[in-house]
Amino acid sequence: MGFKIMPKAALPAWIDRLCADYRVVGPKPLHGQYIFGDIHSAEELALDYTTTVLPPKKYLLPPREELLRFEGSNAEPVIEEDAPPTVVLGVHTCDLHAIHLLDRVFEQGYADQHYRAHRENVVLVSIECLKPCSEHSFCKDMGTLSADEGFDLHLTDLGDDYAVDIGSEKGEALLEGLDAVRDATPEDYERVNHVMAEKWPRFPYRLEFDVTELPSLLAVSYHSEHWDELGERCLSCGMCTKVCPTCYCFNVVDEVDFTLSAGKRIRHWDSCQIDEFAVVAGGHNFRPTRAARQRHRFFRKGKYQWEAYGLLGCVGCGRCAQACLVHITPVDTFNELYRRRVLYTARRQEVHT
Amino acid sequence: MTVLLNETLKQTSIYLPVPARIADVREMTAYEKLFTVELPEGYSLNHRPGQFVEVSVFGVGEAPISISSSPSRSNGTFELCIRRAGDLTGVLHRMKAGDTIGIRGPFGRGFPIERFRGKDLLFAPGGLGLAPLRSLINQVLDERGKYGRIMILYGARTPSDLLFTDELAEWEARDDVELHVTVDRPDENWTGNVGVITTLFPRVQVYARNTIAVVVGPPVMYRYVLIELLGKGIPEGNIWFSFERRMKCGVGKCGHCQINHLYTCQSGPSFSYAEIKNVEEAL
Amino acid sequence: MSKPRVAFFEFTSCEGCQLTVIDSLQTHIELLDVIEIVQFREAMSEKGEDYQIAFIEGSCSRPGDEPKLREIREQADLVIALGACAHLGGINTIRNWQDQEDVRRYVYGDKADWYETYPARPISAVIPVDAVIPGCPIDRHEFVTIVKQLLQGRMPRIPDYPLCIECKLKENVCVYLRGKVCLGPITRAGCDAICPTYGDGCEGCRGLISNPNIESLKTVLEEHGLSMEEVRAKMTMFLSYQMMELEREAAGNGD
Repeated sequence: MGFKIMPKAALPAWIDRLCADYRVVGPKPLHGQYIFGDIHSAEELALDYTTTVLPPKKYLLPPREELLRFEGSNAEPVIEEDAPPTVVLGVHTCDLHAIHLLDRVFEQGYADQHYRAHRENVVLVSIECLKPCSEHSFCKDMGTLSADEGFDLHLTDLGDDYAVDIGSEKGEALLEGLDAVRDATPEDYERVNHVMAEKWPRFPYRLEFDVTELPSLLAVSYHSEHWDELGERCLSCGMCTKVCPTCYCFNVVDEVDFTLSAGKRIRHWDSCQIDEFAVVAGGHNFRPTRAARQRHRFFRKGKYQWEAYGLLGCVGCGRCAQACLVHITPVDTFNELYRRRVLYTARRQEVHT
Repeated sequence: MTVLLNETLKQTSIYLPVPARIADVREMTAYEKLFTVELPEGYSLNHRPGQFVEVSVFGVGEAPISISSSPSRSNGTFELCIRRAGDLTGVLHRMKAGDTIGIRGPFGRGFPIERFRGKDLLFAPGGLGLAPLRSLINQVLDERGKYGRIMILYGARTPSDLLFTDELAEWEARDDVELHVTVDRPDENWTGNVGVITTLFPRVQVYARNTIAVVVGPPVMYRYVLIELLGKGIPEGNIWFSFERRMKCGVGKCGHCQINHLYTCQSGPSFSYAEIKNVEEAL
Repeated sequence: MSKPRVAFFEFTSCEGCQLTVIDSLQTHIELLDVIEIVQFREAMSEKGEDYQIAFIEGSCSRPGDEPKLREIREQADLVIALGACAHLGGINTIRNWQDQEDVRRYVYGDKADWYETYPARPISAVIPVDAVIPGCPIDRHEFVTIVKQLLQGRMPRIPDYPLCIECKLKENVCVYLRGKVCLGPITRAGCDAICPTYGDGCEGCRGLISNPNIESLKTVLEEHGLSMEEVRAKMTMFLSYQMMELEREAAGNGD
């Protein structure tokens, strides 16, 4: 499929136009870091950003959202179908892959209408990453360093222009009536290919094994002592799960007004790293140790989600590693498990020869 | 036309309960009450033994409760045996006939009762475990001819903790049910067995390969009962459990009920030992 | 439904939590439609003794406070610890690490003999407490939420997860990245991470979460340049009583 060319000079006018018809959100700097937030003009937008604190997931699965409003024993679901359509600009491809997983989670079995309403209301404009975000990102290992689907529009920085791939009619509609946008010429294909050829070597591989081995590596690492070592260090602060673009566990609580009979049923993000996550009403905790909780987290990322949804639960964004005060990172964890496995296999072979 | 209750979840929100009327509340023990619940006209629960519903009281919250009545005795209502253990159940215990609660479900896959036909059945409920098992036991009794022997080994902490005592008396009276009851701590009037549930197992002789065992009780009980059952030679695939977990959403999303990769609310809460023996967090 | 009768009391404290209650009464005037305050020294002169719910601010810091606490417990159906001093013993417990005689001399000088005192403690060390509203001072929103829960006939529930959760959701710059230290990872959330939001590290005023990994956090603090002495000081500003309890438990568990 062909792509379009949008001169960077046209960006301010484009953003202005989008702001007239949509809620526009995108990466912007805040106190020396980046966050996704509302954008009112191109000046606010930082498309060359490094990883944001929270992923754009927050527009699809808000940290806190009303599911129901009730009065007495009557309730109405809150599904914001009429909310202004939201354009999410500058989604990194790791986050795009993460959204792909969320789509599967919330559509499989009982489809979640609240998620779907947000999802259908969002137009995703992703951007090709041309340099690593941090020493923690390992998107290349996880196969999320680029994307050929899942976006509505996809931008590639060509210097003075953006190459714009169109992924959907919703995306195409964003470009309607923009005179500055033109079809790509054969030279533009060369330019994109050149940018892509230069980009790949800039990203290091950080896993010591191929990611396709990850589910089976974890399968043989369930009883590794490494989980206990992580459990010793882990603070159970839950930050890793808050910043993760693929974590979606939630809790549901009710809030009432002073009538005590009217109120809201609220869904909010939860975390499997918290001590009380698996506690049942009688008080029994089904995952009482930090070691078991860290293992559960990494198994979800590297094995369970893969088995249930056909996609890995880690996209290599590096946010959890960046947030962790005790230096627990997916790269170190997976590599350590791999090394122990290799060592174990080598020792066994020695014994047998 | 009758609407299946779980079909309503597909309409506007999977989190929207249907308002249901408490038709009756019966005190069972100091901690447990039996609620008879009636769905609005035109709705059917259509559950299987072993399934659960999410019970809501708006303003307080929602919790998973196993269904205690058997489909064969539904009569337009269903029963929930609820222990006062937390916030929501505390409020439920103060509710009366005529009050309204919210119901979602039924969830889970229930027991594969079709596979139990023609077999001898050994039920081993511990404590509140009788609540979900009663659904299965009564279903089986209502189609008694389809099964072989029926053995019930029931353990409770004290005589006053025994649930469904009237039904226990009925089962005791039947000559096609072998009922054995034990309590951990007797009171002065107790003349029956004393000891934990595993002390009952030597009392029954089974033809192991034709026996299905169904065990429901507190987490600590499973391992010990399992040793007894395996010791009797009952095949791993014939041993069934129902697990308690924090099934917050019931629809396989919220993550709280996961046993390793399994969502208890969807894949369970009933599992055979063969299915979960290698699932490390299960037992 | 008759309105529950509520009373407020204070022991060793700055009364800041009660000020926050007064503030909540102004922002949520509806509170006065649903409860009847019969005693509240800081806000009114009437003094009713026929209360059902007692909110107690302040720690118990002398033997002479105990009879009054027991009297309140006797009268009230529900006793709620209001704020860090009542909940944890508060900053008053810093003195618990020191020689009590020295402390008394330091504070009261040559009048020391006139005053009795003993190591400060949370009110739960003296009487059974039904619920706590943590914080120094309490969070006004949480106060309102808890009053609603009490009116619903429920036991109030406060978060049992660490501050980091709330802080991250606000996309604050981690205090550690700003070159400061913070007790957020082991401190109970519920204040909307107010101190880190304004650039300061958490001091732990809401108390410890269940099963905190204190040893690991000490390592983090040391990695960020704190000496052993400073780590101890950090951990004992609000948490002295809880830390001493944990140490006692650890000592009691064999070895």
